[in-house]
Amino acid sequence: MSASTAGRFVGQSVKRREDPRLLTGHGRYVDDVMRPGMLHCTFVRSDVARGRIVGIETEAAKDLDGVVAVLTASDLNPHAGTMQPTMLLTTPGAPLRPLADGDVRFVGEPIVLIVAESRYVAEDAAELVEVDIESEPPVIDVEHALDVGVAVVHPELDTNLGAEMAFPIAPELAALLDGDNAIRRTFRQHRHTPVPMETRGIVVEYEPAGGVLEAWMSTQNPHEAKQAIARVTGVPSHLVRVQGHDVGGGFGQKFFTPREELTVALAARRLGRTLKWIEDRRENLIASNHARADVAHCTFALDADGRLLGTYIDHLEDAGSFPIGATGGAGALVGLLFTGPYKCPQASLRTRAVWTNTCGRGAYRGPWMFETVAREQMVDAVAREIGMDPLEWRRRNVVPTSELPYTLPTGLPLDMVSPSETLEQAAEIIAYDEFRAEQARAFAEDGRLLGIGLGLYVEPSTGMMDPMGTETAVVRVDPNGQVTVSLGTGSHGQGIETTMAQVVAEELGIDFDDVTVVQGDSAVTTFGRGTGGSGTAVIAGNSCRSACAVVRAKAIEIAAHLLEAAPDDLDIVDGQIAVRGTPSRAVAWSEVARIAHLETARLPEGMEVGLEATATFKAPPFSWSNACHACAVEVDRATGVVTVLRYVVSEDCGVMINPMIVEGQVAGGVVQGIGGTLYEHFVYDDEGNPLTTTFMDYLLPTTTEVPTIEYGHVETPAPTPGGHKGMGEGGAIGSPPAVFNAVADALAIVGATIDHTPLSPDVVLGALG
Amino acid sequence: MKPAPFEYHAPETIEEVCSLLAEFGDDAKVLAGGQSLVPMLALRLTRFEHLIDVNRVPALSSWRRENGTLVVGATTRQRSMERDAAVADAVPLLAQATPLIGHFQIRNRGTVGGSLAHADPASEYPAVAVALGAELEIAAAGGRQRRVAADDFFVGTWTTVIAADELLVGARFPVWPAGSAFAIEEVARRHGDFALAGVACAFVGERARIALFGVGPAPVRAPDAEAALAQGADPAEVAALAVRDLDPSGDVHASSATRVRIARHLVERVVTRVQEDLRAAG
Amino acid sequence: MLPVEMIVNGTRRNGRVDPRKTLADFLREDCTLTGTHLGCEHGVCGACTVLVDGEAVRSCLLFAVQAGGSEVTTIEGLGGPDGELSAVQDAFRQEHGLQCGFCTPGFVVSVTALLHDNPAPAEQEIREALSGNLCRCTGYQGIVRAVQRAAEAAR
Repeated sequence: MSASTAGRFVGQSVKRREDPRLLTGHGRYVDDVMRPGMLHCTFVRSDVARGRIVGIETEAAKDLDGVVAVLTASDLNPHAGTMQPTMLLTTPGAPLRPLADGDVRFVGEPIVLIVAESRYVAEDAAELVEVDIESEPPVIDVEHALDVGVAVVHPELDTNLGAEMAFPIAPELAALLDGDNAIRRTFRQHRHTPVPMETRGIVVEYEPAGGVLEAWMSTQNPHEAKQAIARVTGVPSHLVRVQGHDVGGGFGQKFFTPREELTVALAARRLGRTLKWIEDRRENLIASNHARADVAHCTFALDADGRLLGTYIDHLEDAGSFPIGATGGAGALVGLLFTGPYKCPQASLRTRAVWTNTCGRGAYRGPWMFETVAREQMVDAVAREIGMDPLEWRRRNVVPTSELPYTLPTGLPLDMVSPSETLEQAAEIIAYDEFRAEQARAFAEDGRLLGIGLGLYVEPSTGMMDPMGTETAVVRVDPNGQVTVSLGTGSHGQGIETTMAQVVAEELGIDFDDVTVVQGDSAVTTFGRGTGGSGTAVIAGNSCRSACAVVRAKAIEIAAHLLEAAPDDLDIVDGQIAVRGTPSRAVAWSEVARIAHLETARLPEGMEVGLEATATFKAPPFSWSNACHACAVEVDRATGVVTVLRYVVSEDCGVMINPMIVEGQVAGGVVQGIGGTLYEHFVYDDEGNPLTTTFMDYLLPTTTEVPTIEYGHVETPAPTPGGHKGMGEGGAIGSPPAVFNAVADALAIVGATIDHTPLSPDVVLGALG
Repeated sequence: MKPAPFEYHAPETIEEVCSLLAEFGDDAKVLAGGQSLVPMLALRLTRFEHLIDVNRVPALSSWRRENGTLVVGATTRQRSMERDAAVADAVPLLAQATPLIGHFQIRNRGTVGGSLAHADPASEYPAVAVALGAELEIAAAGGRQRRVAADDFFVGTWTTVIAADELLVGARFPVWPAGSAFAIEEVARRHGDFALAGVACAFVGERARIALFGVGPAPVRAPDAEAALAQGADPAEVAALAVRDLDPSGDVHASSATRVRIARHLVERVVTRVQEDLRAAG
Repeated sequence: MLPVEMIVNGTRRNGRVDPRKTLADFLREDCTLTGTHLGCEHGVCGACTVLVDGEAVRSCLLFAVQAGGSEVTTIEGLGGPDGELSAVQDAFRQEHGLQCGFCTPGFVVSVTALLHDNPAPAEQEIREALSGNLCRCTGYQGIVRAVQRAAEAAR
């Protein structure tokens, strides 16, 4: 597909508006917020995965100098409204409560909230609280959580099954799955966690006389936070304001409004004091949200040429005890997307979400991405079994562009994607065939194990659930002609202040420097979708476009009136509205704006004063982006250490607003995938005690563990104005299987196999034997 | 994550430090670089009523070459061992080991004495001290001083022979003869992490010393392997001897078996290097 | 409470602190210089990196009282008085070396120190030197490029 012509701003790697303040230490993150009379919170948390709270002794803590309050469930829980997120108010979920009440359900569950003059004193007080818990055997192993006789995580429910979806298996498919050409494998993805560099946090100020609640929060979604805080505290939502100025990363962890933030808001409301809670790193690792804990038993039925005839996936996800957001919501997509970009006439699925006495599951960059992990790893395993190169298998099975639109066997309509192009481009950039030759030579001559792996996927990028599919933009031109764009987003690193200004400047024909974006504040923006689910370019971008269209049309109408020209003859270029072909017949954009506000007698008859518009964009149910990841590794046979030698991403997100930002998003996701596959592992022992509670044990990748990433871009149109497709999550979707497949490919040279992650030296040496 | 309260002392002489240690005993802890201690305080894994900051004691903060010995004051920053050519000249193994310690920001504050006194089983300096046959200088109140050989100094995980009322004041690294060969290698999960296993070796003539780290509570000498190396044995054979009796603990980062396997591989590599270096030196 | 006095970004700062108060908290709270960030408070992530007497250190591992008499430089002290970016800061901007910005002050200070010690580092040297700073957004791609760019610009 040909690249579209870059505009003056859209398509350019414009340097970011956010950077100067962030580079000079003038960002405003939640811990930078200082309010008069502000007090500091900390939680006393359970050190037992499951048990009955027999007693809580708080007197010593209350007596400590500098302690203002020590709150337990009886102080807060009776006053709490529901803690479910807006999207899930009618969906039953785990019975979430502010503080543990009578029992604890995971290590790290908050039991007591301490309020003190400083965090130092609050932590001193926390040590003086005595919680007596009678521990009971916890449910830790998700694969046995549904066995008969296993304890129930939530006594209010009578099962550990949180959600289930199963499609019937047609007789023809059943026969294929039982047939001789059916191959079965089980894949597991281990528990890890998003780890934004800024932990969670909130400052809540409740002013009792007016009944107004103001919060500053590290959030991806200020409007959701406002609604959630209103529900929990009972403060009417129009009297709640949530601001997230600068947010230090989220990756899904801060998309919904987590338990501690809501609990602190409730406490502020009850106490009538301003409270600050900043999560520390240990809390963030143990008790924020976990992800990626999945198992799938997969079956591929093939014909004699290795073509897919049918698939089955039986997927199980570990929901933990108190998941944030949907339980099993991502699971449905795991099943529905399992065949991905490959031709397959029939497929069926079962997906289940199961409770365990562990930290709750939450969204993490592509929450459904296990479909790609399971499928792409299955593809390589199957290809090796039938003696076909995995690239060849993919070439043989990928849906060719000529056969689009293609309906997946689960009914989803796939269109305007380019998996086959990205497959070829990634293979070319990484020089796949040359690598195979190098691989053979390295083993024959030096006994070295090199490997190459691919990860090919399609990603539904707009989000089908309300309100995630919608955004509203207000484009407001002031009397100087400068423009303020207001969006209900929650930027946390993706440069929304820059990219949306690019779109607006492009659409209006004015200078990028004359546009500013206001977002991250529920009081001054319309209810919006927040930032997540790969939706900003498509949904926020197109709401800006729609609002700009109205503003532009009005500006042109005013200019046409002033110039006595026909509106169709006018263009806006570089801030001048001029008659096409006669540049001398022009009026400045800024002049039009001034007249619209300040010399309104010169406006056309009957035209409303001012120059602004509000527009909402609702995404089509499906707009897909896609990419192919290719990874080359060396496995050290003596030490089990895996080195990533090269990493290539060929991606298609339609028209790029800012290529520099697109590549940055991909890079971050890729490195999270490398980290997740090789280093990061949240480990519980059999009693549900977390073993990886600091950065010394939970290992994030650093500069020395990742190579320079190489990019290729393919651009297919999108079914939306502007031609964009969402891509913020994609880097994290394709990378884990690409890395896994590369290591598996290397180990296959000596007949070794791997079936679980992370691929630590233990696992690799264990495979090598 | 904030530390529990403590009383802070910043004495300026060794004698003052020792008096405070004598007075407070186990209730006091020496604060040198803080790169290991402060995280533990922040996590509240440990606490002390008294912290004795030794960074303002001039007598501890310098190093010098004294004929055949590099005498390093306890609060000498690790970075100076990495930066100064005179260190690389006198005690190459020290200069080679230092860049393996954590990250440069840690080495800017971390001290030679602190690393030795902290005695983490996976740290480099204890193994270097053992490999070179260094001596540790320990002081107590009343001007008392004693020297302990590195072989006797490291007793167990985070445990040395330093008593509660004593202070490590320096380390004496012997300058080995010209033509000696040295090597140190380790494998860690990521650059700068604690070693899963590591090996330090010093070798000249018939004098071979091998110290393994990360594979036991304290650095492990390998006398049979050393003898084999001194007699010109094959690196693989030396490696097999070096790990024969190892029984390290495992953890989330690596199992016992993995550590032994890696240690064996590293001994082979290190021995190959020192043998080559000696051959090249003629 | 103990008295402490130090020079921060060229300005004399006085305070009275609990000895257990970290330098990071002293800078953020007592000096209201919130550019230095706390990402872990146990000395691994590097977000809290500042210069003390010219050396890059983790300010979460130093107590404020220990920095008495020292010259401390934070992220706020690296650029010009009117908000002009230093060469390193500008290189980060040009190369998209930041996204959410939370780790950025620690990286910029560390890179400033690195290039002072080693003005022409090879790529592997850059990676090893910065392995003590964690970033979750950028995948380090723009960061490594920024260091190379800043080094090049200085030549």
